[in-house]
Amino acid sequence: MKFLVFMFMQTGRNIRHSWGVQLMTLLTVTLSVLIFSFFFLIYTNMVQAGLKLGEGLRLTVYLTAQLNPAEQEEFKKKITDFGRVEKIIFITPAEAFARLGRQLGNDKDVLDDLNPAFLPYSAEIYPHKDIKTLTRIKEFSDFLKNLPGTMKVQYGQGWVERFGHFVRLLRFIVIISGTLLILTTMFMVSYTLRLTLYARQQELKVLRYLGATNSYIKGPVLIEGFTLGLFGSGLGLGALFFLYQWVKNHFGATGFMNIFEFSFLPVSNTAMILFSSIMLCTLGSILSIRRLLKI
Amino acid sequence: MLNNFAENLSPGNVSNLVEIVKVTKIYPPDVVALRNVSLRARKGELIFLTGPSGAGKTTLLKLLCRQEMATKGLIEIEGKDLSALGDNDIQKLRQRIGVAYQDFKLLPRLSVSQNVAMAMEVRFMNPLDIKERVAELLAKLGLSEKHHKPAGKLSRGEQQRVAIARAAAGSPLLLLADEPTGNLDSATTALVMNLFKELNESGSTIIIATHDESIYQGTSHKKFELRQGELYQV
Repeated sequence: MKFLVFMFMQTGRNIRHSWGVQLMTLLTVTLSVLIFSFFFLIYTNMVQAGLKLGEGLRLTVYLTAQLNPAEQEEFKKKITDFGRVEKIIFITPAEAFARLGRQLGNDKDVLDDLNPAFLPYSAEIYPHKDIKTLTRIKEFSDFLKNLPGTMKVQYGQGWVERFGHFVRLLRFIVIISGTLLILTTMFMVSYTLRLTLYARQQELKVLRYLGATNSYIKGPVLIEGFTLGLFGSGLGLGALFFLYQWVKNHFGATGFMNIFEFSFLPVSNTAMILFSSIMLCTLGSILSIRRLLKI
Repeated sequence: MLNNFAENLSPGNVSNLVEIVKVTKIYPPDVVALRNVSLRARKGELIFLTGPSGAGKTTLLKLLCRQEMATKGLIEIEGKDLSALGDNDIQKLRQRIGVAYQDFKLLPRLSVSQNVAMAMEVRFMNPLDIKERVAELLAKLGLSEKHHKPAGKLSRGEQQRVAIARAAAGSPLLLLADEPTGNLDSATTALVMNLFKELNESGSTIIIATHDESIYQGTSHKKFELRQGELYQV
């Protein structure tokens, strides 16, 4: 208990004596966390949106001719050999014609003089969620194209591909900003604390002459690192939440926010960012004192 | 009369707090600060170490608190060979040795009381006891008024007394004082010597390196003189 009291007293003293540099470090950590968590927030929301859109994903296979029940079973078997599917629905030209009419709504009279037979037989395939990545969907589509009796395969590939590329770009940004977060946090904290320790070298020397143990000197520095990590990431995440609320309040009723159900980071991710920042700052503080304890 | 004190001393006697046996200290490249010095200090003894500037007094004190390592010879405190101590043991030993440095080694931005308290804080003493002890020492050395003043704003004489208070703060087993009265007038010298006397009577072994004859003349305590790195008993 006494040990802790002295550690906190010493930490308070250290922070008071170098508050300017400590404040700059705190702001750097805050900014790093804010930048990383901002991109991470967008990324997680895009992934969620992608999953949601993927739930409704279906591939339409246009067939050259109607399949009889035996051929339909054979067709299904070939598909399930490739990968699991939620369901396969065979559509006749008449059913497709009726659906088209429903989709046209008030303009359905344009179909009045048309024979439903102009539409081809088709099969709608709803893939299982393990075939939801862009690469797997493309593979699946290529497989379906090569099935005997297939005329054409459609799944809105242009849109799905663009969305996939966007998510990939976001992932790349998250990785880059995450790496930057790790580097800036660790090096900034390490160098700032090393700078303050160099400024306090005379004090450390005196402390060593008075019999201060390594833990007496290390303890407050570790607490400083821990505190910088805790408050830096806390402020960064707080600022992000404030920004999120502001965007939600001002743009919540319009545009993409409605499509994607934009939500804040889950508690587990928030805790992970907080914990990582604290660990990085503490690690930075350990790096800063290693060389200064040999007096 | 001066006698060569480099007699044969047998190490390992625990009633001796300090045993220095044939110690030589050479600073690079070849400056001999101490030559074949032997000294024994029993528990509760007060010893005066005199000699001209550059004779090796400060070096001897530095060897005793392991700020420097002897080039040759043996130094033991409480039967422990200082050269064989690990980092943690050295720190534990330093906690039990109070040193009043000639250049004070105070932290100028910290207050007088914080400087004195440091010696006890590193030992994790009770904060209330620390507060009480700091007040007591500052009162004894006539510094009660300076309690909150930054050490850097004090006169040299006041700084010297703060350094002495810090050395005495943890009621050390061994107190080493390097020219403790060098900046003091006779009245404050008396205050300092009274404090040393009190500590000595309560069991601390004290070694005082000094030029000031007035503090050791007429006393019955052991006196040694260092001359060109060699130790003689007076």
